[in-house]
Amino acid sequence: MRRPALMTVFVAWAIYLFLIAPSLIVIPMSFNGSTELIFPPRSFSLHMYHEFFYGGDWLQATRESIVVAAGTMLLSVAAGVPAAYALARAEFPGRRLLGVVLLAPMLVPTIVAALGLYLYLVHLGLAGTTAGLILGHTTLTTPFVIVIAAASLRQLDQSLETAARIMGAGPLLVFRRVVLPRLYPAAVAAALFAFLISFDEVVIAWFVSGVGTATLPVKMYSAIHWEVSPVLPVISTLLTLLSLIVCTIGALLRQRSAVDV
Amino acid sequence: MTNRHALIFLGPVALVMALGFFVPLGQIFYTSVDGAQLTLRPFAELVDSRLFWLVLENTFAISVESMLASLLLAYPIAYHLSRVTPRRRAAYMVLVLLPFWTSILVKSFAFTVILGDHGIVNNVLRALFGEQMVLPLLFNRTGVVIGMVHWLLPFMVFPILVNLLAQGSDLHYAARVMGAGRTRIFFRITLPLSVPGVLAGCVITLVLSLGSFVTPALLGGRRDLMMASLVDFYTRVSLDWGSASAIAVLLLAITGGLILLLSRLPGEHRLI
Repeated sequence: MRRPALMTVFVAWAIYLFLIAPSLIVIPMSFNGSTELIFPPRSFSLHMYHEFFYGGDWLQATRESIVVAAGTMLLSVAAGVPAAYALARAEFPGRRLLGVVLLAPMLVPTIVAALGLYLYLVHLGLAGTTAGLILGHTTLTTPFVIVIAAASLRQLDQSLETAARIMGAGPLLVFRRVVLPRLYPAAVAAALFAFLISFDEVVIAWFVSGVGTATLPVKMYSAIHWEVSPVLPVISTLLTLLSLIVCTIGALLRQRSAVDV
Repeated sequence: MTNRHALIFLGPVALVMALGFFVPLGQIFYTSVDGAQLTLRPFAELVDSRLFWLVLENTFAISVESMLASLLLAYPIAYHLSRVTPRRRAAYMVLVLLPFWTSILVKSFAFTVILGDHGIVNNVLRALFGEQMVLPLLFNRTGVVIGMVHWLLPFMVFPILVNLLAQGSDLHYAARVMGAGRTRIFFRITLPLSVPGVLAGCVITLVLSLGSFVTPALLGGRRDLMMASLVDFYTRVSLDWGSASAIAVLLLAITGGLILLLSRLPGEHRLI
């Protein structure tokens, strides 16, 4: 196919700039010397980084976010990877329907899931707990884990599994000793993306978390809404960095397992 | 694998999804009919509420505007990505994937700095055209649509790109041999063939924007209230859980209908 026309390249680059600009401008702003939120900053210092790490309760919210994201990551991988294996290899009635049902949280507006979880947790007396938020985030990330793991499973050669089964290994043993070791890169990539999705998630957290369990995005949301704190560029820079790291590792793992993430 | 084993593999996921997603959805339906009283009061109250109709109209207007603007910006990018070498495509994809994986709060915050009266855009305009040249870009409909388009773009780019890459080059080659120019090939072959990808992108972005919460709340003004913000208002401020649930049920019905429509359309388009 021919190379794109000059006009196309020009238009495409203008749109790439629009896409990338918001993630980039927060970085110089985070080294702003004054509390005024302007771009470009007039003076530079690390003052706002100091403010993030030692002032206010930003660190407490960050800690809560890490706990929630780590719990979500573990739970969604533990639930999603075996599910992907059963969906990819087993034959049972309603398998296709089950696949659609398990991916439903990707298609339902998050606000609906958030309200439902909030009402349900209030009903159980668990509103505002960390466990409730982990449960909510896990339903959001598990479909991603299933999609990534299932894509990797489709690429794996099944003859090893067949051989193991002929030798007398049961399905659980085959899964643990034959499938899991080769599924490892995809599972790690899925875990990282699950962590990132949970760490950045704001709508469910906004509804479900309580005063003592506010996550970083929840605190950030109110800060943008009500006070526009000068620490915001620092948090934005750190979040952008986290996304960049996860995407890079994800891309490297993707190359190793030759699977589209 | 026997059914018993399938149950072992699917047990954990079934438990998590049931407790964290499907039972809560049931709770919404239950609350939207006043629980055991089984009335349609919350829905009737919504129908009588002027605020609700205003918000419904807002939601659809903003969502359709954002969808169309996203299409307009996504198509050139998808086209460009489909016409470069795979190595370059991987590099350019980073420019689409980084914003895709960036927190929506980071993006919204950045736009409050970019679009404000003393933001980057208006400072440049002032420098070029003098002091009076200030465009109102933030806390109004324009701000919401700009923020939404930025959020939605990757979701529109991916299905169109998949479609463009799947188009064989034979037709294009034949047309070129017959003497067709770039423009003619694009409008007679590439564009018509890409319609399924465009439709999939439109449905995905429409579904996402109908339920969007953060962007309109942070970049919009008081008049740009959307359904999700109304759900938040009824849940937290007026503690009217019946109305909040009724709105959620309607939102679910609308987005579910759109996805069903997409799955019925001819052509190959899987959401995932």
